[in-house]
Order: sequence, then structure tokens, then C-alpha cells
Amino acid sequence: MLAVFKRDLRSYFTSPLGYVFIAAFLAVLNAYFYINNILRASSDVASLFGFIRFVLIFTTPILTMRLFSEEFKQRTDQMLFTSPNSVFGIVFGKFISALAVFTVVIIFTLLYLVIIAAYGQPNVKQVIANYIAIYCVAAAFISIGLFISSLTENQLISAILSLAIFLGLYLLDYSGIGMNNRIINNFLYAISMFRRYENISRGVLAISDLVYYVSVASVFLFITTRVIEKKRWS
Amino acid sequence: MIEVSHLTKKYGDKRGVDNISFKINEGEIVGFLGPNGAGKTTTMNIITGYLSATSGVAKVADIDVLEDPIAAKKHIGYLPEHPPLYLDMKVSEYLDFVYELKRADTPNRNDHISEICELVGISEVYNRVCKNLSKGYRQRVGLAQALIGNPEVLILDEPTVGLDPRQIVEIRNVIKELGKRRTIILSTHILSEVEQICERVLVIDKGIIIADDTPEDLAAHVSGEHKLAVRIAGPQRNIIQTLRSIDGIRQVTPLANREKDAFDFLVESHPKIDVRKPMFNALAKAGYPLLMVRPHDMSLEDIFISLTENEPAHDDLKGV
Repeated sequence: MLAVFKRDLRSYFTSPLGYVFIAAFLAVLNAYFYINNILRASSDVASLFGFIRFVLIFTTPILTMRLFSEEFKQRTDQMLFTSPNSVFGIVFGKFISALAVFTVVIIFTLLYLVIIAAYGQPNVKQVIANYIAIYCVAAAFISIGLFISSLTENQLISAILSLAIFLGLYLLDYSGIGMNNRIINNFLYAISMFRRYENISRGVLAISDLVYYVSVASVFLFITTRVIEKKRWS
Repeated sequence: MIEVSHLTKKYGDKRGVDNISFKINEGEIVGFLGPNGAGKTTTMNIITGYLSATSGVAKVADIDVLEDPIAAKKHIGYLPEHPPLYLDMKVSEYLDFVYELKRADTPNRNDHISEICELVGISEVYNRVCKNLSKGYRQRVGLAQALIGNPEVLILDEPTVGLDPRQIVEIRNVIKELGKRRTIILSTHILSEVEQICERVLVIDKGIIIADDTPEDLAAHVSGEHKLAVRIAGPQRNIIQTLRSIDGIRQVTPLANREKDAFDFLVESHPKIDVRKPMFNALAKAGYPLLMVRPHDMSLEDIFISLTENEPAHDDLKGV
């Protein structure tokens, strides 16, 4: 697991992929921070984190598209899966390597807090709650992307499919609006990746919401493992 | 060391491997011989745990590959058909990664890796990026990868494909050297390769093992009919008449005209009669100089044809 993690993390930075992800992410975030916090002289971080969650829709596919697709294409998966490691260990190694690249972005966002702290009073509890929550959201997104990547050996298909699914999940939140049906709305809320975040944005860090994101991540890591194990039987 | 019993792998309705069983003892070098698509790679992938069999058991070092894959895989070094290189890595980084991935347990990592590099001859490309390596070097790096961790069992899928003739000789010698202390299975569709390296041959065709023998016995077994390729100077028709008049020669087939005023023939004789001396005498008497005599090479196709013809029982089995 550790070997896979190290190799994947390094390959993000020996190719342009890691840099593209970080640069794209930060460029958009910087613009948002400038408009939302600096121009409006606001110390509110909730909407900033809400925006990170939104940007993840477009950037996660860059991060996850090649994780397994590339292995299948180069046939290096033959070495991975004939090495004395569990399939889950390999899946998890890849998962945390992507999460580590996301962490680089998160480290840069600390700069925003420094700036806010210099001119105002950030709400420390809210900031910590948001950091915990955004990690859980990112884990859920990455695990879905990782799962898609295990389905195809074509990186482009992997990226486009992930993007479509993330956008679909996003639109799901709005699909219930026209329907005045409490059951459907409750159901949509229960499965929504985004509306749950609104509580957290307000500073309410409910365990149930965190459990939801962690569960999504675990379920998709599990399914990815199963998909790969199933390949052997086909 | 390796035990395979009643292994079957179905791809949909097609059987990639059909109820094969064999046992390989410690220290043996065994060749898997067969045409493309015969089931060699499938069998190897099952033994290494990359694929699962539809039914049957594969054991390595007495460990069932399916029941305890991690323990079984520790004993195996595998070179797949397509060397599994990460093209963006340097050879040095790649081998380091493999060392960690395999949880190799040797006293000194660097000594172990440089020993292997020396052995397969990749020391001079050690600091190059895999993407820039030629096919031959990629194949060797693939072999180095299989050797990391000193596995007792080596499974090599067409290890000499893509190498130039000099490299082929080198790699064959490396494999022979390795075979002194290890159990090796290698697959190939080159007959002479098996003869040179292996102590035992499993001939596999259409997912079935059709022969299990030493290379010498296999050759003797299949060359039931003696075939000689000869080149004789003189008029073609007269030569054929002269040859046909010799006792023991069954059939003479004209092949080609490769030299001026000389013709090539394929001479088939009775298995128990050596026709070379009478042929020489008869031709000398008739005044047609014999320029060349060599045994006609048995091609892999010939072996398959003769094996499947000799054992019609297999055809019956296939129908069941």
C-alpha cells in the first residue's frame, strides 16, 4: 500500500497532472477569495469552502482519471495484482495519493486565513469544522472518481464520465425543487452530496453528515476493490 | 513446487484452458510450448493469481493461489508477455518501487538490485527513463523486476521476444543460470529455445496439454519419419528418378532451385533405414554431385500435426 501510494504521488509530479490540478484549483479559488473576501472585506470562510466543494466537481476528474486506467493501458496492473498485496491495499494506496495532492491545495488555502486573520477575526471553530468537512467531501469525490477509473482503460472516458456523474449529483439537488413532495425531497436530501454541506457551512458539524461522506468514500473504495477482483473471473 | 490440477478457464463459451493438470518439481526448468492463443498465457496468469480459474486448483509451494494469494505470490516472480514498466520512471526508481511493492526481504536493498542489474545486463541504463529504452532493454528490465526478492519460482511469458539474436543467447544463458537454484516455467513458440534451455516440455494446444516430455524424447517421438533436405547438381528429372530407385526412400519432393544448375529436394525415407550412404553412392555413380544434406527442421506446426495425428484419443475427448 505504501509503495503504491509513493509511486502514484510521485507520478502526479513527474507528469504535468499534479501541477495542472493544483494550479487550476488555486487560480479559481484565488479569484473567488479576491472577489468574495477581499473586495467585500469579509472574514466569512463558509462560502469560500462551499466554493471549494463546487470546484471539486471539475477538478477531481483530473486527479482520478488515470489512477487505474493508466495501469490497465500500460498493463502494469499485471505486476500490481500479482504482487503480494491485497487488492484493497492497492486501491487504498491510490486513494490516499490523490487525497495527498488535494492536501497540497488545502495547505495553500491556509494563506487565505493568514490574510483574514491579519485584517479581521476569523471564526476559529467554523474554520476547523469546514476543514474537517471539506476533507470528507473530497474523500467521497475521489473515491467515486477512482471507481470510474477502474472501469475503463481510457483516461478520457474516465474523466468525462466522472465529470458527468459529479454534475449529475449536483443537479440532483435542484431536481426536487419543482416537486412539492416531502418524501422525494427528504430522499433527495438524504442522498445529496451538496445540500448536506450547507449545515456545515453554517458551522453545524453534525456527525451524521460526516458519517455520510465517509460512508460514500468507503462504499466506493469497496466497490472498486470488488470490480478489480471481478475482472479476474471474467 | 507447482501443482496444477484440472484447471479450466472459460471465456464465455470458449475454453481458454481445458482441464489441464501437471506438476513441476523444485529446480526444474519447464518450457510451455504452443502456438499463439494455445492457453500458455492464461495458464501462467492463473498460476500467478492474476486470473482466476473457472474450476480447478493451482498451487505454488503447496499454497493454493486462490485461498491464500498473498502468501503464494511471495514465492513467484512473474514476467508477463508485455513487460509491466512504468514509462515515466527511471529504471532505478522503478526497481526500487518493485522492491517495496513485493516487500522483498534481502539484507541489503542496493546490493540486491545492483546484483540483478548486473545479471540481466541493464547496469548501463540504470539511470535512464523507461520510456526511452528499446524493446530489448524493456524486456530485460521486466526480467529484473521478476527477479527482485529472490522468488523460488519464476514464470516467464515469452522472455526472448523482441530481443536481437545476441541478446537472445545472453538471456537464455541467464535463464539457465537462474534455473540452477529456481523452478522456472517459460513459455515460447520457438522450438529451438525449448531444446536449449528446458529439461522438460509441456506442449499445449487449444487449451489442452498434448505432450509432456523431455525435449529429446519429444523430438524423437515426433520425427517418426526421417526427412532430409538435399541439394544436388544436375538435371532435375534425372535426379528424381535416381533418388526414387534407392531402397528405403518413400517420397521425393522438389523444393526449389536456389543455386545455378542445382536443385533442392525433400527426401522422405522409412524411419528405420538410413538412406544417406546409399543415396550418396547412387548419386556419385550417376554423376550428380551431392552438394548438401541436412535434416529437415521440424517446425512447431509439424510437431502439432504429428502429435495430434498420433493421438486420436484426444480428439475423442474433445467431443465429450
